[in-house]
Amino acid sequence: MPDPRLRPVNGGTAHSLVSLRGIAKHFPGVIANADVDLDIRAGEIHALLGENGAGKSTLMNILTGIYQADAGEIAIDGKPVRFGSPLDAIAAGIGMVHQHFKLVQAFTVAENIHLGWGETPRLASARQLEARTAAIAEKFNLAVRPDARIHALSAGEQQRVEILRVLARDARVLILDEPTAVLTPSEARELFKALDAFRKSGNAVIFISHKLHEVLEISDRVTVLRGGRKVATHETKDCDHRMLAGLMVGREIVLGNYRDRSAEPGNDARPTVLELRNVCADDQRGLPALRNIDLAIRAGEILGIAGVAGNGQRELSQVITGIRPLVSGEILVGGKAVSHQDAAAFAAFGIGHIPEDRLRSGLAPSLSIDDNVVIREYKTDAVSRGPFFDPRAANRLARTIAADAEVAIPDFGMPVRNLSGGNQQRLVARREIRIARKVLVAAYPSRGLDIGAINTMLRYFVELRNQGVAVVLISEDLEELLSLSDRIAVLYEGRIMSVFDAESADMETIGLLMGGQTAAAPATSGARS
Amino acid sequence: MSWRLQRFPSPKPSVALAVRAVAILLALVVGGLVVAVSGLNPFALGNQVMKSTFGSSFGLEDLGLLATPLILTGLAVMITRRIGLWNIGAEGQFYAGALAAAAIGLFVEGPAWLMLPAMFLAGVAGGMAWITIPTLARAFVGVNELITTLLLNFVATLLVYYFATGPWRDRGAGTLGSTPRIRYEMPELWGMVHWGFAIAVVLTVLAAAVLSFTRWGYEVRISGANPENALYAGIPVRRRIIAVMLLSGAVAGVAGMLEVAGTVHRLQGGISNNFGYLGIIVAVLARTSCLGVFAAAALMAFILNAGIILQTQGLTTSAIVALTGLVLLFTAIGDEFAHYRLVRADRATA
Repeated sequence: MPDPRLRPVNGGTAHSLVSLRGIAKHFPGVIANADVDLDIRAGEIHALLGENGAGKSTLMNILTGIYQADAGEIAIDGKPVRFGSPLDAIAAGIGMVHQHFKLVQAFTVAENIHLGWGETPRLASARQLEARTAAIAEKFNLAVRPDARIHALSAGEQQRVEILRVLARDARVLILDEPTAVLTPSEARELFKALDAFRKSGNAVIFISHKLHEVLEISDRVTVLRGGRKVATHETKDCDHRMLAGLMVGREIVLGNYRDRSAEPGNDARPTVLELRNVCADDQRGLPALRNIDLAIRAGEILGIAGVAGNGQRELSQVITGIRPLVSGEILVGGKAVSHQDAAAFAAFGIGHIPEDRLRSGLAPSLSIDDNVVIREYKTDAVSRGPFFDPRAANRLARTIAADAEVAIPDFGMPVRNLSGGNQQRLVARREIRIARKVLVAAYPSRGLDIGAINTMLRYFVELRNQGVAVVLISEDLEELLSLSDRIAVLYEGRIMSVFDAESADMETIGLLMGGQTAAAPATSGARS
Repeated sequence: MSWRLQRFPSPKPSVALAVRAVAILLALVVGGLVVAVSGLNPFALGNQVMKSTFGSSFGLEDLGLLATPLILTGLAVMITRRIGLWNIGAEGQFYAGALAAAAIGLFVEGPAWLMLPAMFLAGVAGGMAWITIPTLARAFVGVNELITTLLLNFVATLLVYYFATGPWRDRGAGTLGSTPRIRYEMPELWGMVHWGFAIAVVLTVLAAAVLSFTRWGYEVRISGANPENALYAGIPVRRRIIAVMLLSGAVAGVAGMLEVAGTVHRLQGGISNNFGYLGIIVAVLARTSCLGVFAAAALMAFILNAGIILQTQGLTTSAIVALTGLVLLFTAIGDEFAHYRLVRADRATA
């Protein structure tokens, strides 16, 4: 039971629930956090904003006891605390919902709620646990089905279970890491309603995001991190898109000049390299994921694909790289219709693919770096003689690619999963750029990279485009899309809501389209819905 | 300064090897303790086993004879491990290969130079036929091959019993529960050891070379390590699964053929002597290495041979089967521990 003395006075003024002072955390060769001060007040939703690698996750891992700070102090209700483990943080009323849910898929909702919890009755039937769960759900006004198994739930429902699990343990500070990334717009609205209720009862929410419109909509205050340091904390009502974006990246407009190009033919004059005609495709579960997609990808352009994750991006990238079969419609590669989807043939044509989840499909984690890096070129003379595979030649090619990717590798025979996520991503990107003579499909290419590496990668994309390669850039980061793309297509529930020239696009319109609203869009080149 | 155990995604190769040595040692120690509890002197018995095995060419010949099928069944299981699958059915494919080879040997007449290759091909066909259903079920419907290959073992075992004690039984003066002697025999290579030993060695080296030094082998490796990665690169995973599983069945079938044509010269119930199951242990001990198959098969052959020697001292063969089980158990435990390393704990950790 929570100590009643610790309960904040509802409606009280600037009561500081959590305060971090001078937090620092170093990893070998990296400063993850330095000198970070942060105050979380009772009754507020505090947004934590920053690019990938800005130090948001490290800071939250320190606050939840997963990491220990190298310097600095944490105080709860003004009293200094030291968290040796996540259990200490939970006991102090701090709970976190991670971006990747940590639920047992085969267990029911009730079992997940009660797992690893001191208040779980020692002997309890499934029905008792479900009754307890129903009572907790009612208390916090979060509807769940206690007897449902996790794998049968949607992402939104799973998230609700995660939140409930944290709240059931009497959390007063709820940390949410990119909570809307997996949600549909309506689920996101539900979440916001629940967060609002939680805030009104005198608790606090830390909301990690890089979606500016959400931050502006839901939060009371915003803290921006960059390069591991705190840049600023502002009242949300004093902020706007442009200002927050500028604070995040430290420049007025990121990479703004990338779209500049010297005298070149306009969009319509460039030849089409890849074309989708009325394409429909299913997702992994056999449900429709792409609906009647018409899309022409032209040489020498960067085509941005905007949309909330899970609206068909994965399937789109698989369809245009030959991995996923079509249900109907056709694909023209270099003007010729392909009879069946064959990823090797697409790659041989010159289509590279940086997949959204490198460990799931881009790499074979348990195999050596050599084996992983040559997967696109093992059939070429560089690695093979006829049917024979030459491991030494593979090693030579791997060394070349690693050098180009600026990844230092002590042992090319070690499993690729031993590399850091950022280095894995660089190797995959370099490997794919090498074969992308016609098209490069890049899904969330900046994930896991620091700002410097992101800039290097984006510059590669621009170089490729200038050489006449078509780049399809799938991203959630509107800043990135707007600064880089020549045209932007918006995906919503498997449909292309609109395609427009990036110059005439603005974030608000794209945001509306991403949410499925077909409000007046400046459709300049063939908007389709 | 404090230390703590941390799990690493992959063990160091040297640690993994050391773990195997420790596992085998522990199994021997536990085995020795059981022997001591039953009132025998483990050191005296050990001494006798060593002397009878390595003290005479007979002992070494026995070892070679036992190692031949173990190399092949171990290879059969190892091949499927390369594509991330388990062939638990080497036992059944062994029987099927033996049955098919015996059918040719018993009912077709011809010169030996023609009949032995014919029996070899029959063994290949028998082993392949026996893994066909699990293969197609795995490749097209995703049915777990562990279960299908295992269950078909019992069918094959009983089928061989039926033929050996029923329609094909020796009606002459002889042995109960086996077919008449098959005329076509593998020529001897060294003492009792027949040319099957050389065939087993060559097949293993060949398979290892194909898996390591061909594009096909590379594709098998990728398909096994991460099928989604293989599909992403356009590797036909399904076709590779079918080829690898059929190859595995063929190798186990060859083991059965060699046992019929080289060692037993009859088809009889129980002819496999658990070689198919022991092949699983061989493959686990060998991990994915070809040289490892030789070493692991030699070790298993030594343990089996020790069992034969110890039977004369009043120990049952099941004691030896238990020893092979202990080796597998300790290796599996050790493999998990090999992932852990002592690291210096973060100084802020209280």
